[in-house]
Amino acid sequence: MNLVASLRYTWNVDFLGRAALGFRRWQSEHQARSGSPWKSDFITPPLQISPWTKQLIARHYLEGRYAHLRRKVAWVTSGAPIEFLKALDFFVYYPENHGALCGTMRVMEEIASEAENAGYSRDICSYARTDIGTLLSGKTPVGKLPRPDLLLACTNICQTVLFWYRVLADHFHVPLVLIDTPFVYAQVTPHSIDFVKQQIEEAITVAEQVSAKPLQAGRLDQVARLSRQASQLWLEIVERCQSRPAPISVFDQFIQMAPVVEMRGEQYTVDFYASMLKELDERIARGVGAIKNERKRVLWDNLPIWYRIRYLAEYLAQHGIAVVASTYTHAWGELASLVDTDDPIEGMARTYLYPILNRGVGDKLARMKSMIKKYHLDGAILHSDRSCKPYSIGQVDQRDLVSRECGVPALLLDADHNDPRLYLEQQASTRLDAFIEMLGA
Amino acid sequence: MNGVEIPSRTNTIHDYRQRGGSIAAVFPIHYPRELLRAFDILPVEVWGPPRVTGSSGEAHLQPYICSIVRNSLSFIHSGSLDMVDLLLVPHACDSLQGLGSLLLDFVPPRHPVLTLYLPRGRRASDVAFLASELGAIYGRLQAITGYSPSKSELMASIHREEEADALLSRLHRQRRHISLADEAFYRLVRSREYLPAEQFSSLARDILSQAIHSKLSGTPIILSGILPEPASVFSSLNEFGAWVAGDDLACCGRRIYPPGHSDEPFQRMAERILYAPPDPTRGSPIAARLDYLLQLVKDTAARGVVFYDVKFCEPELFDLPRLRQGLLEAGIPSLAVEVDISDELSQPVINRLAAYMEILA
Repeated sequence: MNLVASLRYTWNVDFLGRAALGFRRWQSEHQARSGSPWKSDFITPPLQISPWTKQLIARHYLEGRYAHLRRKVAWVTSGAPIEFLKALDFFVYYPENHGALCGTMRVMEEIASEAENAGYSRDICSYARTDIGTLLSGKTPVGKLPRPDLLLACTNICQTVLFWYRVLADHFHVPLVLIDTPFVYAQVTPHSIDFVKQQIEEAITVAEQVSAKPLQAGRLDQVARLSRQASQLWLEIVERCQSRPAPISVFDQFIQMAPVVEMRGEQYTVDFYASMLKELDERIARGVGAIKNERKRVLWDNLPIWYRIRYLAEYLAQHGIAVVASTYTHAWGELASLVDTDDPIEGMARTYLYPILNRGVGDKLARMKSMIKKYHLDGAILHSDRSCKPYSIGQVDQRDLVSRECGVPALLLDADHNDPRLYLEQQASTRLDAFIEMLGA
Repeated sequence: MNGVEIPSRTNTIHDYRQRGGSIAAVFPIHYPRELLRAFDILPVEVWGPPRVTGSSGEAHLQPYICSIVRNSLSFIHSGSLDMVDLLLVPHACDSLQGLGSLLLDFVPPRHPVLTLYLPRGRRASDVAFLASELGAIYGRLQAITGYSPSKSELMASIHREEEADALLSRLHRQRRHISLADEAFYRLVRSREYLPAEQFSSLARDILSQAIHSKLSGTPIILSGILPEPASVFSSLNEFGAWVAGDDLACCGRRIYPPGHSDEPFQRMAERILYAPPDPTRGSPIAARLDYLLQLVKDTAARGVVFYDVKFCEPELFDLPRLRQGLLEAGIPSLAVEVDISDELSQPVINRLAAYMEILA
């Protein structure tokens, strides 16, 4: 890194970028305070903290755009242990989050078609197609993505990420570090923990070589502590939805979870979630819910349908249905207690073996049943996500068992988390109508 | 050599049982045959199977799950595996992972279900993990059978399988001198999926002793994918003047396991699996797969590569564009077709094979 590059980074990110994003946040907050009209009869206006969320996400991509001027860049899968990368000052970029952003902004189709035209089948994960489309065409709604110096794939969310990251490694010719987390059919075995721990240690060695600096134990402890704090706060946030009415919906959580996924290990992420928690407590104290007339409460299973979040939120809210709990958003908080700050490597090995997607279908059923009880839910929507086989296999039985054992209606909703071409609106609304009728909403 | 007498699965299972052995139904792809055999359990592999009505599998799985997994579940439900003593589901992909999990948690069969996690690399840590995983399976088998094979019994079993794999490798290398039609040749190769190693070795030695010096005529091609089903692909290829000179099929060429080096049985079994030819389900880099395919093309003088993939198979689909590009850059045209193992080979696929062979010719 030379002085000119460092100054360029400071000018673009710390000075211009910070000022522009700060102003935009101030403008949005000002508009919200001055009571600009909110266009929904059924959904409560967004949290006051929402402009801060946008600022954090925008700043993240801005830092990424200029990261090469100051830092090494790692592309990682969403379930990967990133604490050591943060401690080595890598800029950590998440292709899955970028994919979700493209889905939410409805540009996925155009970008993914670049990958499909190059021969990538529509039967592969739509996040991967979006990512590969971006890397082949440069198309992205965030300006420009940083080129990786290192790839880190962790199989604790699916095997797809390894197939996908092998494509990235072949394209970028940079080291691909694999953290292979043996699937937990029943119990985690000691040799699985040893295996993951050993791989994290190996990954640290590679990351140290790429970053040309040694990992400082003190810095790793600090990042692990911040990571744990953010996850704990997130867990408290999602658990606030046990209140009736729930102060935020799962659809809000899908948007607000971005920092806990891609900005773990940062003080500003902890501050952000502490403020969000405070705002939720204020809402609870005032009896303000995420929807204006909460009559029924429902569970969401699997990833969001990114391109129809607002539609689904509105459609359900107009029937008084609040989606208040989700196996997906919950997953980002429930591992907090496993993050061991006394032995970060061992803690990471345990933590990253346990995500919901690395455990059996029976385990997910148990979590769903527990959430139905804990959150006093009246039904469940299981998004059968064509792009996410590990999350979706087992849902047919889970739907039947949830219905039978919890006595609540459960709906299997066919869609894809990112590809709108695999979602049939008419079919979805017909099925939702039948579900709403069964709920008695 | 117009045909070869290969014992059927049913007869093999019957005979093995008759002499006091047990049977394990094993799902794709990689596992140590030698470990099961050391317990006197004959592994009989279940790749789907094709031509099974998928309806009972469909009752538990979404339509975007591949036909191998769907058919497997249907096959179990149909009672066709009731005669086995246990099921082994190795981990290969998200869908097979789901199959193992469903069998353990929601739709348990009558017999014990064992799972095996395959690491995705060839690092020392991968070998050590797999050796431990195999040690854990040894413990499960010990509990099920009440038997504890000694180290020398395990090593004897390993040597028997290594010999069979060496002969399998020779069959592949000498393919052009074996005057069997593709369908018969692959019936022979795939009998490794259920024949005891010693029986397969004897069969392979017979065939190899009849190998001739003349060469098969026609256009040599490589077949890549998971499995050659529907098997009528062979007759179609032969009809259009092609013959399969080599393969990169998960059930065949990707399982030509090399001998291990270690004197420690589990370590040696692990080495054999992890050092087999490149396979996306074991995390092999795409470049390694391409190099392997190019070498195969060179060794067999193949003129093209047909990717014969099962629909929805992500491990295969992710690699296709870069493999095809790499082959094209080396002057090797390829064809990619997708099939469902429950269906007959469709006319559009047959037409594409015909057109491709015309181009190669």
